[in-house]
Amino acid sequence: MSLEKGKISNFQLSVLIVGFTLGSSVIISPGQGAGHDAWIAVAVGLIEGLFIAWIFTAVVKQFKDKTIIEINSLVYGKFLGKCISVLFIWYLFHLGALVLNSYIRFFKLEIYPATPKTVGLLLLMLVCASTVGRGIEVLARCSIILVPLTTLVAISDTFLLIPHIDLNNLMPILDVPIGKLLLASHGAASFPFAETVAFLMVLAFVDKPEKGPSAVSRGLLMAGFILIMVVARNAAVLGQMAAITNYSTYLAAQVIDIGDILTRVESLVAINLIAMGFIKISVLFYGTVLGLAQVFNFRSYRPIILPVGILMVILALTNTENTFDMIDFANKGYPIYAISFQIGIPLITLVIAKLRKLPQTGGDKV
Amino acid sequence: MKRGQRFKIYVAIILIIMPVFLSGCWDSNELNKLSIVSGLGWDIDPDTGEVTLTYQSIIPSEIKSSSSTSGGGEQKGGNPLHTIQLDQDTGSSPYDVLSRYAQHGSRIPFYQHTQVYVFGMDGVQQGIYPFLDDQSRNPVSRPNVLMVVSETKASDILGIQDGMENIQAFGMAAEIKLSAAFSKYPAVTVLEFQKRILSKTTAPIAPIFGIVEENGPEGKKIQKIRITGTAVFQGDRMIGELNERESSGLLWATNKIEKGFVIIPQASLEIVQAKGKIVPELQGDQIQITIEIDEESNLLEYKGRQDMTSDILQELEKDQAKEIESQVMAAVEKSFALNADVFGFGEAVHRKYKKEWKDLKPKWDDIYPRIEVVIKVKTHLNEIGDINKALMKD
Repeated sequence: MSLEKGKISNFQLSVLIVGFTLGSSVIISPGQGAGHDAWIAVAVGLIEGLFIAWIFTAVVKQFKDKTIIEINSLVYGKFLGKCISVLFIWYLFHLGALVLNSYIRFFKLEIYPATPKTVGLLLLMLVCASTVGRGIEVLARCSIILVPLTTLVAISDTFLLIPHIDLNNLMPILDVPIGKLLLASHGAASFPFAETVAFLMVLAFVDKPEKGPSAVSRGLLMAGFILIMVVARNAAVLGQMAAITNYSTYLAAQVIDIGDILTRVESLVAINLIAMGFIKISVLFYGTVLGLAQVFNFRSYRPIILPVGILMVILALTNTENTFDMIDFANKGYPIYAISFQIGIPLITLVIAKLRKLPQTGGDKV
Repeated sequence: MKRGQRFKIYVAIILIIMPVFLSGCWDSNELNKLSIVSGLGWDIDPDTGEVTLTYQSIIPSEIKSSSSTSGGGEQKGGNPLHTIQLDQDTGSSPYDVLSRYAQHGSRIPFYQHTQVYVFGMDGVQQGIYPFLDDQSRNPVSRPNVLMVVSETKASDILGIQDGMENIQAFGMAAEIKLSAAFSKYPAVTVLEFQKRILSKTTAPIAPIFGIVEENGPEGKKIQKIRITGTAVFQGDRMIGELNERESSGLLWATNKIEKGFVIIPQASLEIVQAKGKIVPELQGDQIQITIEIDEESNLLEYKGRQDMTSDILQELEKDQAKEIESQVMAAVEKSFALNADVFGFGEAVHRKYKKEWKDLKPKWDDIYPRIEVVIKVKTHLNEIGDINKALMKD
């Protein structure tokens, strides 16, 4: 059963991971709970994220060219394996809806106040659906173009903000209590770094699977450095405003003013969100439809792209009441909710696979 | 295969035709439906607590013809300017006012190009929190708008044309930026104000504009606006002001000096470079703040009719340092009298002593006036200009 015939290179995988990790965090700054120490929280979160990535890449290493769905069936047996797979697919689906939701909330509030949410979501969803239908290779090639552009914008925004940067705003270092800092770090780990667990659906299609883990950590490190730079810069420019505003990167970009000529460039941040949100949603969407097709033994995942896409849009429209809800959930509920999927499923799968000495034995009947 | 190709061509044709009908948004706000607000005034009636907003809007059609100042064209509200229109409304809150604006306005106010927010004296004494909340919450507001306090009502200031700009508010913004560039008064943006409010101990500041009357041609009186001081806030209420010297002292201490002049009795010097640094020192319960200022200057004019000697240069450096020190000291004394931490001493202590800060922060109001301040000024005279001997000697 091979639903995906494409192969992506390890470099493409790294870039895809950078895009995925930047995702909606180009708008919603991670580690906000730590005040002006948010960048430390992101750095610690990156380390935790690398550790989680080590767990789930170890799972794939055991089974080489299999997705988590196939691995689950091998490890837990047909029925239980499929139940766990469905749970994992739910996580990808729900996360996709959350990203869509944050995307449209930002756009509705700041850019297109009069456009109906459904229209904005459907337009993005159509692009994602069309990409997913063409397979992982196309998505990887898109990321090769989009990710460097986004990185360039993030870096040049930082350079343009140098006149407004006051490093005193970052002092004193480690001002928050250590418990609060660790909570914020875990928040930053669960969103966005450990969300790369979605790549359990993609890692099987890397052309050199034995080098997959290092490609994943390289991508995470790159994205981590960009995020640390962005978060530290936001705090240095905005001071304590960074902790109370919903979209600090956007507010920081509004501050840019080079001689009254180069101003009002904040739309670039919004464009970044479209590009990176597209990559993140596409990966999650791809994982969802591919996973469903594998669970139900379809011959192709293409027929379910549109129905799943529409369901994802509907969930995105209904899953939070307002922006406060969204940010509250992202800060408080989500880090706990995500543990079971980001650490739980990969870790238990890995342990059981090791105990049962899989996949050497051919008989996977339980 | 052929059918597929034809299908593709049809799709392409449809896609090409579609944009023709989609070129306009149904909710578009065209320029001729907007009233571009250049300045916004905020007044509060101290008796009733009602808010009055003054909208200074640009009249776009007048901008191109305004180079020939014909004068006389009296606008609504007795305003002699013809590039702007002033509208006023009163209500219980900013949005109550906005809803009344709809009773007479013909265009939607558009705030993206607002240059200044002007707060009338009664308004700042009552507190401007509702306005600040709106500014922080509303997505259309921008962080770079300048904050100004008016000695009179905000609506008075917004109606007085001054400077060389076509539009009054742009002229005001230019005046504030120039005064900051010459290190006279601080230019305070909304973001800066928000940051100071959020720090809890640091007092927000804003330049004050006043109205002066000058003799114009034909014996007419001309009203002009000028910056007269720096307003000091406690929270969202204004509690006092710094005068010209004190404002300069504040800029020296907070490292906001760009260029400008130091005037001493026997000479004038141009600032080339200046750095200010606040260094706190905590000894038991006593806080000592050292303000370290490092300044380099060029000699611009020298009144003593004698040749330059190294003794004179040293004396100039010393007198210059004394002058700067006295400016800073004036600002420090005023801020102690007002008990308002305009320099951010509290934040400086916070940065260095984060553990002790937890105990100090709640009683900062008691501690602040008892702080011991030491001012250390280092000056250096770079250049003496093109001549080294006096033209005329005594």
